[in-house]
Amino acid sequence: MRKIRIGMVCPYGWDTPGGVQTHMKDLAEYLIGEGHYVSVLAPISDEISVHENYVVNAGKPISIPMNGSVARVLFGPIASSRAKQWIASGDFDLLHLHEPAIPSLSLLACSAAEGPLVGTFHVSTSKKKAIYAIGPILEPIVEKLTARIAVSELARSTLKDHFDTDAVVIPNGIDGQKYANAQIIDEYYSKNTIGFMGRFEEPRKGLQVLLDSLAIVSRFIPDAKVLIAGPGDSQAILKEINPQLRERIKFIGRLSDDQKASFLKSVPIYVAPNTGGESFGIILTEALSAGTAVIASDIPAFKSTLENGEIGALFKNEDSADLARVIVSLLRDEERRKELATKGRLSAQKYDWQVVAEQIESVYEMAIAGGQRVTLSSENKFWSRR
Amino acid sequence: MNLETLLTLLAIVIIGWYLSFLASRLDRLHHRVETSWATLDSFLQQRAALAQQIVAESNLDPATAYLISTSAISARKANIIERSAAESVLSESLKLVQNSAQDNSLELPSELLVELSDITNKVKMAINIHLEAVNATRNVRSKIFIRLFRLAGKAPLPVRYEFEDDSL
Repeated sequence: MRKIRIGMVCPYGWDTPGGVQTHMKDLAEYLIGEGHYVSVLAPISDEISVHENYVVNAGKPISIPMNGSVARVLFGPIASSRAKQWIASGDFDLLHLHEPAIPSLSLLACSAAEGPLVGTFHVSTSKKKAIYAIGPILEPIVEKLTARIAVSELARSTLKDHFDTDAVVIPNGIDGQKYANAQIIDEYYSKNTIGFMGRFEEPRKGLQVLLDSLAIVSRFIPDAKVLIAGPGDSQAILKEINPQLRERIKFIGRLSDDQKASFLKSVPIYVAPNTGGESFGIILTEALSAGTAVIASDIPAFKSTLENGEIGALFKNEDSADLARVIVSLLRDEERRKELATKGRLSAQKYDWQVVAEQIESVYEMAIAGGQRVTLSSENKFWSRR
Repeated sequence: MNLETLLTLLAIVIIGWYLSFLASRLDRLHHRVETSWATLDSFLQQRAALAQQIVAESNLDPATAYLISTSAISARKANIIERSAAESVLSESLKLVQNSAQDNSLELPSELLVELSDITNKVKMAINIHLEAVNATRNVRSKIFIRLFRLAGKAPLPVRYEFEDDSL
């Protein structure tokens, strides 16, 4: 593919951690490595904390509640004129807008620009009413996108339901090598350790389901342990729990990227008991590429990521007895565990950045094939053309 | 000037603005359909050319070779109405090549095989993008205002091709 000038727009604050930001950072750096020119327009709350020289500040984001958590987004006339300026001065071949269907910088850029536009939809939501209400406003803007990417089948079906449009499914990428080659750390490993990772205080992460099942598991496997990684108040959880189980549970706090890879590689079984609200489950693919057997709740996102249980074990969502059954049978059956892990590692290769970024590049290629470039739509009204 | 004329004028201005908004929106969509079709068309042409090259450079059995080369030729020659049917036949017969490449019964330069799977993916994606543009255009064109004021002008209604086997 020829080298092009790409403009990317980030809807959320660049310096707040999040899946979209991580995805964009990895993608931008991959594309720059391939020799493309990349500029990212993003809201930034604290400019000093941003080190990437390809990021352009669009202003301070504001916090609004969205989809069960708080999103830091930016819009308004000033942001809009900054976006226009950025588009006009960037001389882009293509704009890649992330999450263009929520009120954000991406939406502003999409409505201001014309030409090859690619949109990536990350979120899957079932809140129909809210979308219906703003649908008529969004429709003329979203239909400008030349090509749409959904990060999961679930995000794709959300798009189908709400906007009546289809999308190409390209999953989020991960650095598979990092997980496959991670070091095994003894602290995280024992024969019957079960790993859990995430913001465990949020009920939808499902830690409670796992802890409830531990009572049953410990009856069958006396030395079963649960290792919990992630930020949060561990004392509050420990206080609630049956004292006999306390010593089986260990909190190891927030992990760095390398520690995380080692954690996923070291534990014999990783459990994702999330009760809902997931679109894809990138943590599953990370655990899979580390070569670890995975157990997950059978919510739609996980079911499709684990290929209906082909490459990882599933249990009935929110059913701790069923989870206990699956954990016990897997801990006892090393053959099956190895088989799942091998299948999982092979299947997770398709989430590797190399593969994913190539697919994204071919979408770009498709979008720019018409030979147009990105312009401001205000310069391009139909009466001033021709 | 009394209030009524003022309101009427205002209504006319608003309706006029709305109509011009719809017209430019539709114009943009027509443009999108044209470019997405041009892209798809060029990929389809490339695929047909590749199919003929595969026939020439592999040890395909005569029946399959015959099937592929005739479907490639008819896909290249097909007019706009027969196009999707002809292309679907070609996709089907190219699947035969990919299947027999998987069980190693086929001698084919590996770069051709890579190129084939590459172009197959691109065709799928281009179809998806094109159908998307066609559907959006048809949806907008069915709006009452657009039909009433004939905002589509003389632009032909985009054809919805049926590429069942190739959709994503």
